[in-house]
Amino acid sequence: MDFFVVIAAPFVMALCIMFIRAHLRSEQQGWLLSALFAVSFVGLLTRLPDLQQNGAFVVSFDWMPQIGLALSLYVDGLALLFGLVVTGIASVVFFYAGYYLDEKQTAGRFFALLLAFTGSMMLLILSGNLLTLFIAWELTSIISFLLISFKGTDAKARRGASQALVITGGGGLALLIGLLMVGHTTGSMEFSTLLTSGDLLRESPLYTAFTFLIVLGCFAKSAQFPLHFWLPDAMSAPTPASAFLHSATMVKAGIYLLARFYPILGDTELWTLLLSGAGLTTMLLGAVLALRQRDLKGMLAYSTISQLGGLVALIGLPHAEGLKAAMIGVLAHALYKCTLFLVVGAVDHATGTRIIHELGGLHRSMRGFAIVTAMAGLSMAGVPPLLGFLGKETLLEAFITQPIVIVTAVISAILTVTLALRLFVDVFLGERGSPPPEIEHPDYDPQHPLGDDAEDYNYDHMPPRLMVAGPAVLATLSLILGLGIKPLVEPLVELAVQKDVSLYLFPPAGINLAFLLSMTALTLGALLFAVRRYWLAWSFPQVVTGPQIYAQAIARVEQLADYLLKSQGGKIRYYLVAILASVIFLLLGVITNVDQMGIRNLSINIANVADGLKAILLMLALGTTLASILFERHLIAALSLGIAGYAIGGIFLLEPAPDVALVQFLVETLATVLIIVILARTSEEERRKAMSRLWGQTNSGLVRDLAISTAFGAAVMIFALAAVSNRPTPNPVVAWHIENALPLLGVNDVAAGIITDFRGTDTLIEITVFGMAALGILTLLARPNPGKTMRLFPWQAEVPDPNPVKEALQQDAEEPETLTYRPRFNDSILEVMAVPLLPISMMIALAHLLYAGAGPGDGFTAGVICGLGITLWYVVFGYEETKRRVRWLHPPLFIGAGMLIAFVNAIVPLFFGREFLAFTPFTGISVANIKLASSLIFEVGICLAVFGGISAILEAINHPREVDPL
Amino acid sequence: MNVLFAIATGLMFGMGIFQILRRDLIKAAMGFYILFTAINLLFLAVGAYDGVIPAYTYASVRDSRQVSDPLVQALILTAIVISFGSYALLLGLIAISSRRFKTIDSDELDHLKG
Repeated sequence: MDFFVVIAAPFVMALCIMFIRAHLRSEQQGWLLSALFAVSFVGLLTRLPDLQQNGAFVVSFDWMPQIGLALSLYVDGLALLFGLVVTGIASVVFFYAGYYLDEKQTAGRFFALLLAFTGSMMLLILSGNLLTLFIAWELTSIISFLLISFKGTDAKARRGASQALVITGGGGLALLIGLLMVGHTTGSMEFSTLLTSGDLLRESPLYTAFTFLIVLGCFAKSAQFPLHFWLPDAMSAPTPASAFLHSATMVKAGIYLLARFYPILGDTELWTLLLSGAGLTTMLLGAVLALRQRDLKGMLAYSTISQLGGLVALIGLPHAEGLKAAMIGVLAHALYKCTLFLVVGAVDHATGTRIIHELGGLHRSMRGFAIVTAMAGLSMAGVPPLLGFLGKETLLEAFITQPIVIVTAVISAILTVTLALRLFVDVFLGERGSPPPEIEHPDYDPQHPLGDDAEDYNYDHMPPRLMVAGPAVLATLSLILGLGIKPLVEPLVELAVQKDVSLYLFPPAGINLAFLLSMTALTLGALLFAVRRYWLAWSFPQVVTGPQIYAQAIARVEQLADYLLKSQGGKIRYYLVAILASVIFLLLGVITNVDQMGIRNLSINIANVADGLKAILLMLALGTTLASILFERHLIAALSLGIAGYAIGGIFLLEPAPDVALVQFLVETLATVLIIVILARTSEEERRKAMSRLWGQTNSGLVRDLAISTAFGAAVMIFALAAVSNRPTPNPVVAWHIENALPLLGVNDVAAGIITDFRGTDTLIEITVFGMAALGILTLLARPNPGKTMRLFPWQAEVPDPNPVKEALQQDAEEPETLTYRPRFNDSILEVMAVPLLPISMMIALAHLLYAGAGPGDGFTAGVICGLGITLWYVVFGYEETKRRVRWLHPPLFIGAGMLIAFVNAIVPLFFGREFLAFTPFTGISVANIKLASSLIFEVGICLAVFGGISAILEAINHPREVDPL
Repeated sequence: MNVLFAIATGLMFGMGIFQILRRDLIKAAMGFYILFTAINLLFLAVGAYDGVIPAYTYASVRDSRQVSDPLVQALILTAIVISFGSYALLLGLIAISSRRFKTIDSDELDHLKG
C-alpha cells in the first residue's frame, strides 16, 4: 500500500504546489518537497529486509481487463534499488533547486513539473504491468519536454525540447509495438507472469522483432548511439532538471528496462550483439566527444552518454556476468554525476558562464563546492575508496573476457579520468578568465566571449551557503558507500541481481588484472591531462552528425506540409470532385463485378393499368429532372423539379401508399415554394450572371462531371438492381406489423401505427433532427448581434447597420392604429382569400391529427399543412404584417414545445413500470369514431415541432434585416 | 416493375451527382434534392410486397390480395421529412453566403485557399 503512496504523493503535491506557491519562498518550497522525498526514501529502505525474506512484492488492480491493462506493482530488488536512487536524488535536487530558482512563481511551476516527473518515474520503476510501464514511460518523455523548454522564450531550448520529444517519443512507439508483441506472445501483460516465460519468448518466431523494437526504445531513452544526439541539446533545461532527468533518472529508465527484461529476453546472440555493439560504441564516442566540449554541461552530458554506454554493454554480457557491475554503476554514476551537475549549476549561478575557458580559480570563493567537486571527480575517475572505484573495478572485471571489449573500456576509462581532472582543475584551480597562453583554441576569441551572458564574475551573486548542502550530501554518500561496501551496498546489489555477490574494495586474492587495469587507466588519464595543452586544439574531420540529419528530416517534413497547403485551391467543386472520385475508386469493385451481385429476374412486366401509369409517371419524373438540369433559368428549373416531385408522389399514390403520397405532395410543394422564395431573396443581378455564365463550364469540366456522374449512376443502378432482385418476399416482419396494428394499437392505418408506435423512437429522433435544422436556419439568417452586423470572417469590411436592432424591436412591439402596411401584390382578391386559409389549414391539420389512425395523414402532414398556410401568409403579406397578425407564433417555442410533449409522452410510461413510448389507449372517450390514445399526444407533439420548424425556416428567410438593398 | 424503379433510381442519382458539381450554387442545391428523391424511390422499389391494396386493416379491405408494404412507407415518410429539413438548411446556407459574398458562383468562394 505504501508503494502506491510513494507513486501518488508526488502527483498530489504537484497539484498542491501550484496553489501554495504564492505563499512560500522558493527555498521553503524546496525544503518541503525535499522532506517528502526523504520520507519516501526511508520508507523504501525499510522495505528492504521484507523483500529479502519474501521475494518480490506484487499487487494488482484491474483497470481494463480487456486489453490487459492493470494497475499493478511488482517490487523486487531491482525496482527497490532504482526507487531508492530516484527518491534519494529527488530529495537532494529539490532542496538544491529551492536555492537555485529565485522567484517563487517560476519555482512553483518548476517544482510542479519536477514532481509530476518524479511520480511518473516511480510509477515506471514500480510498475508491474507492461502497459502502465509504457504509460509512465511516455509521461516521462512529455514532462521532460516541458522541463527542457521551461524557459519558453529561448528558441534553442524549444528546438532541443522538440528534438528530444521526437526521438524519445519515436523510440516509445517502437517500444509499444515491442511490448504488445511480448504481451501477445505470452498472453499476459503482467511482469509476474512474464518473468517466468523467458524460454517461451526466446523461442518465439517474433523474438528478433520484439527484441529489436524494445531495445530500440531503450536506446532512444538512454541516448545510445545512434540516437544519442538529443541529450546534449537537452542541456537547455534548468540545471536542477538536467541533474535530475538527464543524469540520474530519465536516462536510467532505459537501463532499468533492459535490466528488467534481461531474464526474459537476454542471453541470446541478438541481445549480446545489439547491446554490446551499441553500448561500447557509445562508451567510446561519448568519452571522446566529452573532451571536445567547451560548455561544462555539455561535457557532463557526453560523459553521461559514455557511462550509459558502459552500463548497456554490461547488461549485454551473456550469463548475467555484467548485471552486478551494472547495478553498482547505476548507483555510483547517479551519485557523482548529479553532484557534478549541481555544482555546475552553482558555478553558472555565481559567475554567469559555463564556458570552461572563462572559468578558473574558483576555489577561493567557492571552497565548499571545490571540495565536493573533488570528491565527485575522484569517484568519476575511479579512485578508491570512493564508490566510483568499485563501479569501475566491477566493470573491468566483467569485460575481461573479450580483448576488443576490454580495450574499449580501458580507453574510455582513461578519457573519463582526463575529463574528471579537467572538470576540477580547470574550473576551480588556476586563474580565471583567459586560457593559458599556450593553448590556441580555434574558436576562442577574447574580444567576443562565447556562450550565454558571459560577464565578469559577479561575486555578489555567490550561491547561498546552503546550496552546497545538496551536492555535499551526495558526494559524502559516494565516500561512505565506498567505505562501507559490505554492510551498505552488498545487500542492495544482491537483492537486485538475485544471486550472491561479494563486493570488495581491494581484491582479497591479491592484485588481479582488473585492479591493474584500473590503476593503469588512472595513471594514463592523469598523464593525458597533464599534456592537454597539445591536444585540446585538435580539430575533428567534419562528419554528418545526428542533429544535422534530424534537422534535415524536419525541414523536409515542413516542406511537404507547405506544399500540401499551397495545393489547396479553395474551390468547393474541386473538393467535391476529389471526394466523389475517391468514392468511385472504392465503388470500382461494384461496377466491375456485376455478375457477382446476384442480379436476376431482369424482366419488366407491366401487369396492369396501375403499372402502366407508374411507368408513365416515372418517365415524367426522369424527364422533368433532366429538364431542370438543362434549363438555365432558375425559376423554370425549380418548377420542373417540383413537377418531378409530384410525379414521384403520383407513383407513391399508385403503389398504393397514400400516406407517403400525401407527405410527398405536401413537402414537394413546400420545397418548391422555399426555393422560389430564396430565389426572390437573391440578387437578380447575381442570378443573371449565373444563368448566362455558369451553365457553360469548360468542356473538359463537363466531361469530367459527366464521367463522375455516369460512374455513380451506374454503381447505384447496379446496387439497386441487386437489391430489388434479392429482397425477401414475403417478409415476416411486415406481416407481424399488419397483423398486430388493429389488435394492439386500434389503428387501421398500419403505416401510421408503425410511425407513432412500433417504430416510434425513429420518429422522435426525426423530429429532433428536423427541429435542429430549422433552428439552425433561424440562427444563421435572422439573429444579427445587437448593434453590430454579422461578420462571418475577420477580413470582411465592417458594414454599418442601417437598422439597429432596438428600432426594429420597437417596430415589432408597436400596435399600429390602422393597417399601415403596404400590400405586396396589387391583388385584393388574393389577400382576402389568403386570410382564412391559415385557419382552414389548421382545421385540416386538426382533422389529420384526430383521424391519424384511420386514414392517410398524421402528425407530419398536419404540421406541414399548417406550415403551408403560414408560408402563404408570409408570401402574400410579407414579414411584418404576418408577424403582427400571428403574434403568438414564436417558432423556437413551438419546436421546443413539440419536442417536449413528444418526449414526455414517451417517458411517462417508464414511471408506471412500462416501457419507453408504450401505447396507452384512453378507453371510454370515444367521440365520432375517434379513438383516443397516447399516440394522439405524440402526434400533437410532432405537429407542433414540424409546424414550428417550417415557420422558423420561413421567418428566417423573410426576415427584413437580412434583405440587403440590392 | 421494380426493375424499372431500380433503373430510374440509378439514372436519377447520376443526374443528381451531375447537378451537385455545378458552379451555380442554387442548381447544386437542387441536385441534392434530386439525390434525396432518387433514394426515396429506391426505398419504394425494395419494399417487400408488390402491393395491390393499401396497408389498411379495414374489414372490407383485408382480404387475400397483396398488401402494400407499410414498413417501407414509414421509412420513406421519415426520409422525406428529414431530407426536406436538410434541403432547407442547405438553401439557408446558400442564401446567407450569397448575401455575405454577393455571389452564387461557388468558384468565387475560395477563402479556404492555401
